[in-house]
Amino acid sequence: MSPLLEWFTGPRTGKKRRKVSRTSYIALSVFAFLSIFPLYWLFVVASNSNTEISKIPPSLVPGPNFLKELKAVYAAVPLTNALVNTAVIALIVAVCQVFFCTMAGYAYAKLAFPGKSASLVAIIGTMMLPAQLGIVVLYIMMANFFHWINDFKAIVIPSMIGAFGVFWMRQIIDAQVPNELLEAAKIDGGKNFRIYRSVVVPIILPSALVLGLFSFLGTWNDFLWPSLVLNSPKRFTIQVAVNQLNGTYTVDYALKMCGAFMATLPLLVLFVFVGRRLVTGIMDGAVKG
Amino acid sequence: MAFRSSTVAPKNRGDRWGLLYVSPFFFIFGIFGLLPILFTVYVSFFHWDPLAGHNYIGLDNFRNLFTDPYFYRAVRNTFSIFLISFVPQTILALLLANFLANPHLKFKVFWRTILLVPWVTSILSVAIIFSELFGQNYGMVNVAMHYLGLSHIGIHDVNWVGQTIPSHIAISSMIIYRNLGYASLIYLASMLAIPRDLYESASLDGASKLQQFRYVTIPQLKNTLTFMLIVGTIGGLQTFLEPLTYGGVQGGDSRQFSTLALYLYEQIIINNKFGYAAAIGVAITILTVIISGVNFLVTRRISGGES
Amino acid sequence: MFRGNLRKFFVAGISLFTLLGGVLSPMSQAAAPINLSIWTYGNVIDPVLIAQYKKLHPNITIVAKKSDLDGNAQALRYALPSSAVPDIAAVEISYMGEFRNYTQYLTDLSTLTPGAPSLASKYLSWRWNNMVADSGQVLGVPTDVGGLAVAYRVDLFKKAGLPTAPDAVSALWPTWEKFIETGKGYVAKQKGKAFIDIAQTIYTAVVNQGAQKYYDGSGNLVYDNNPNIQAAFNYTAAASQANLGTNVAQYSPDWNVGLNKGLYATVLAPAWMLQYIKQYAPKTTGLWNIATLPGNAGNQGGSALTIPTHAAHPQEAWDFIRWYTAPAQQQFDFINNLTFPTVTSLYTDPKVGDLKDPFFNNAPIGKIYSESVKSVQPFQLGKKDRLIDSTIGQALSRVQLGKQLPQAAWTQAMSDIRRAIN
Repeated sequence: MSPLLEWFTGPRTGKKRRKVSRTSYIALSVFAFLSIFPLYWLFVVASNSNTEISKIPPSLVPGPNFLKELKAVYAAVPLTNALVNTAVIALIVAVCQVFFCTMAGYAYAKLAFPGKSASLVAIIGTMMLPAQLGIVVLYIMMANFFHWINDFKAIVIPSMIGAFGVFWMRQIIDAQVPNELLEAAKIDGGKNFRIYRSVVVPIILPSALVLGLFSFLGTWNDFLWPSLVLNSPKRFTIQVAVNQLNGTYTVDYALKMCGAFMATLPLLVLFVFVGRRLVTGIMDGAVKG
Repeated sequence: MAFRSSTVAPKNRGDRWGLLYVSPFFFIFGIFGLLPILFTVYVSFFHWDPLAGHNYIGLDNFRNLFTDPYFYRAVRNTFSIFLISFVPQTILALLLANFLANPHLKFKVFWRTILLVPWVTSILSVAIIFSELFGQNYGMVNVAMHYLGLSHIGIHDVNWVGQTIPSHIAISSMIIYRNLGYASLIYLASMLAIPRDLYESASLDGASKLQQFRYVTIPQLKNTLTFMLIVGTIGGLQTFLEPLTYGGVQGGDSRQFSTLALYLYEQIIINNKFGYAAAIGVAITILTVIISGVNFLVTRRISGGES
Repeated sequence: MFRGNLRKFFVAGISLFTLLGGVLSPMSQAAAPINLSIWTYGNVIDPVLIAQYKKLHPNITIVAKKSDLDGNAQALRYALPSSAVPDIAAVEISYMGEFRNYTQYLTDLSTLTPGAPSLASKYLSWRWNNMVADSGQVLGVPTDVGGLAVAYRVDLFKKAGLPTAPDAVSALWPTWEKFIETGKGYVAKQKGKAFIDIAQTIYTAVVNQGAQKYYDGSGNLVYDNNPNIQAAFNYTAAASQANLGTNVAQYSPDWNVGLNKGLYATVLAPAWMLQYIKQYAPKTTGLWNIATLPGNAGNQGGSALTIPTHAAHPQEAWDFIRWYTAPAQQQFDFINNLTFPTVTSLYTDPKVGDLKDPFFNNAPIGKIYSESVKSVQPFQLGKKDRLIDSTIGQALSRVQLGKQLPQAAWTQAMSDIRRAIN
């Protein structure tokens, strides 16, 4: 085998045989770098003046202007408000989704009720319709019937349940809660809700929390619906706020990237703490389905 | 993925309790999920202007749709973008998962976690970054290709917005960027669940690592691949935010990256034709159902009915 | 036992809902302070002026929501029939054709106090009439107007052997044919450089110079047989085919770089774009000058402020609009942002009419642009203006990229428009 190839893959046999080929580490490093680079680039553009990034070759190093751009962002939109609004809304939606989707998932997984199969089909069907259409009708409903325009209820209430969440929990409960356990609990004299609370919930809680994380992330990054529905800058969520940073016909890139960076930063911080659990949750969901 | 029909033997109270647990879901979903959809289907039979009023036109929207060349272009674009994003993404994800599955890998958690970072970034931010990276004259991608000497084989100052396939590649790269980490983890999890003895007996039989990957790993991943394919096609048919944020609602000067969902949205925003948009929405749904069905049947047949 | 569990269940559910309700209910408005909401886009509403207004009226807080141009119009379409409307809505010129006839959904400003007609004479008449409905209601007041002139690079003209003084340069192109000829001469001498940044801007310039645009005086569509439209298309196509322009998109990062590197000898610039050039290509200061457009008359862009009928505070909205579009504020906006005013008295005001900027070699910006806007003819605006603009724009891009020959592109544009309008 050629020495060059061996350098990458390692000797195939013998004592010096590598457990992990160099190729693996190189490939992983490349993709790790590619994963991080765009966010780094976001910061670079945000911290340089617009003329800097209009040069060739473009500047690859952060500049001194980040705080200045941040000030400009704050002058344009109430950024802290937006971050807090988004965090609160995302949290409430996450809690609701976990609560309601777990219950509904349990029903689909373990209980019988009239209309079970039909409703499952209907739900799958609705997941196949593009969201943009529903948005227009939902807006009309919000404006004329509920009067929830510019109200956080318009964002939270429709999101309290998700078809995806119900499926996820159904699958989790199906896989993680054996029927025998439920039978045994019933024989022991447990009533339905108590069984749910003390047998099912503890088992699936880690996965349910991962659903909460998914939901939190989804709400945080959502911008089409909130931008339609929210009108006061103080009520904006973070993506809507960042979208405010456009000019009429023009784009101030440093400003916009600074806003986008600030919109992503809290998620990265959160990610540092819960990233591991998110990884586990995704992997568990993949296998046990 | 197995849909086990695992109902407990229905008890007398079973029906009542089931309904109770599911009622909040039905209630909210009914109002905010189902109702808008039913209303949308209703609207598809109308010519609908929010301010000028609406009138019933029967199947006219659908007739126009069948003869609309831009609809078919949107279909082709959607499929093209799907293929260009799904195939490389799957291959790369499988490779990465294979590397990550190595039990002797150091810093396992670090690699797995860092690959997820793109997934938590909002599409808006990703689009801002990628639009800049794919600028024709000075975008980093073209600059890098220039430094790599690709101009010697004729690749020079690619117009990543104006030309059809390059625009699909740019948009697909946005999609791959966001989804690669997630997909890798899914495949990784499935790979880790493959029993070790299958590999051992294969290597005893003299199979190389590559052969093991091909004849042990991939077949065991059939279910996961099927699942990802179905979910991928459903998502792919709804590709919307990426092309919108990349190049605007019309999908380019020749609608070269106008996808189905984007075309729908254009009807609402630029043409102010809500009824026609609704008809497109119905068409997308029917297409999704058909394709998902085909996917499901085909992959079920391939895996010999063992799903 | 059944009741016990059920009760716990409901208590949990109700607590959750109550909590939600408490957290999510909008704060009730106090009696005296007023929030005046504005839906706008880009830089129509200047934040410094907003702060000034707050000082004058401490109880009124202006709350502005920005979208992009199309998003703003779409949001308005769906909001206007309901009560979920802002107090003030900004409308851009490409949408004025549509919104000027929404007499049911936008307040007739003649019915407010003081009535709009008393202000009409202050403003550029064709801009004022842009938002007057066919039946005579005044639905909006104009804020700014783009105007149009040619910003050219003195140093690049010199290198190509062209004259550099503004009068001489303006004399080079009394017509668009001569403009294109000059361009061809430039490109022949300066290989690899473009004469104009984007050829498609020629289309907008010519189209706004006609007596009619896409509609005639009676509101019929004439886009397909208006000779001025065809001329505009043909000039632009000719410029594209002679490689006078580049393939960049305006305001893209690539375009910024081109500005900085001197890749374009000319840019057709409305007044507000001059500010942009100053901001994004600061190192090119002193290298620019301004000449008149072929045909002189020109416009690109401009907005108006309207009051939806279901607005919560119509009188306060009207007070703000009158203040914001008053001469003093328009003058401030021009001095700071180079947004050209629609108040005609300002054209002879020294601070506006005599404004000179060293960045542009002290060109008489105020004078050039006021001449430019005053000569624009009052053509009819209509509902499908934006759609037709976009579609023909797509066709011109295809010509520029070499994807289609002009005739084919035009034919396709016509059929696209016909299909979209029906």
